[in-house]
Amino acid sequence: MANQSVTHATYAIERTYPASPERVFAAFSDPAKKRRWFADSASGQAESYELDFKVGGNEVTSRMIRGGPYQGTLLTNHSSFQDIVPGRRIVFAYTMSMGDTRISASLATVELSPTEKGTSLVFTDQAAFFEGADGAEMREQGWRKLFEGLEKALVPR
Amino acid sequence: MNAPAESVRRLSNKKINIDRVFHALGDPTRRAIVEQLSQRPLSVSMLAKPLAITLAAVVQHLEILEKSGLVHTEKVGRVRTCQIQSDGLSVAEQWITDRRALWERRFDRLGELLAEPDEK
Repeated sequence: MANQSVTHATYAIERTYPASPERVFAAFSDPAKKRRWFADSASGQAESYELDFKVGGNEVTSRMIRGGPYQGTLLTNHSSFQDIVPGRRIVFAYTMSMGDTRISASLATVELSPTEKGTSLVFTDQAAFFEGADGAEMREQGWRKLFEGLEKALVPR
Repeated sequence: MNAPAESVRRLSNKKINIDRVFHALGDPTRRAIVEQLSQRPLSVSMLAKPLAITLAAVVQHLEILEKSGLVHTEKVGRVRTCQIQSDGLSVAEQWITDRRALWERRFDRLGELLAEPDEK
């Protein structure tokens, strides 16, 4: 396969929460709250988590990969905040690294706006993926997953 | 949820015809070709061997895969080499799908946190 050095991509996720923009914003700015939904998950706690929520401040999340070909590798998410408008907007740049290798860099934007029932959240990720973002095994796994999904999609219902 | 179609559609800067991709991947022989090529580039005859089909049949399948943007073939001398074309269903798309899934899970958890009774 030809080695592409960088691939760019953008995607967006939209959610609506039955809570005020201030409350949603607090889940981003308060380190204890942010850790709960961002760094920890049902599959395990983060190895370490730090948050300095201010423009120019950083957030560092480290998680151990617990399965697959990269089991035991540390996955690190490093963010630095570019712009913060309380209750409205958070812009941050983040990189993801597997072990010592950086695999992607993104500019991410969180936009909050009040709705009748709560808060609309729009998350936009503008990403650059670097070479080596996938190991051979991960690529194969990716294809397998893709094919499994495809099988399901093609089975007539 | 239709993961492959979603991941193709998401790459707005690449013009990939989803119908063509699905048609191309709807055939077990073509899926086998793509699976082999996702590990390494191969010549047409090397592709034909394990599939136990004629060279002509492989060439026909390759034509469809090439038109859908999944495979790229190039003739050097007398040998035609085939490789996965990243414009089709690429690793990057898989990565975007994974990354998106990661953020989706996070926002699900944020929703759970926000659903709890208000903090002290």
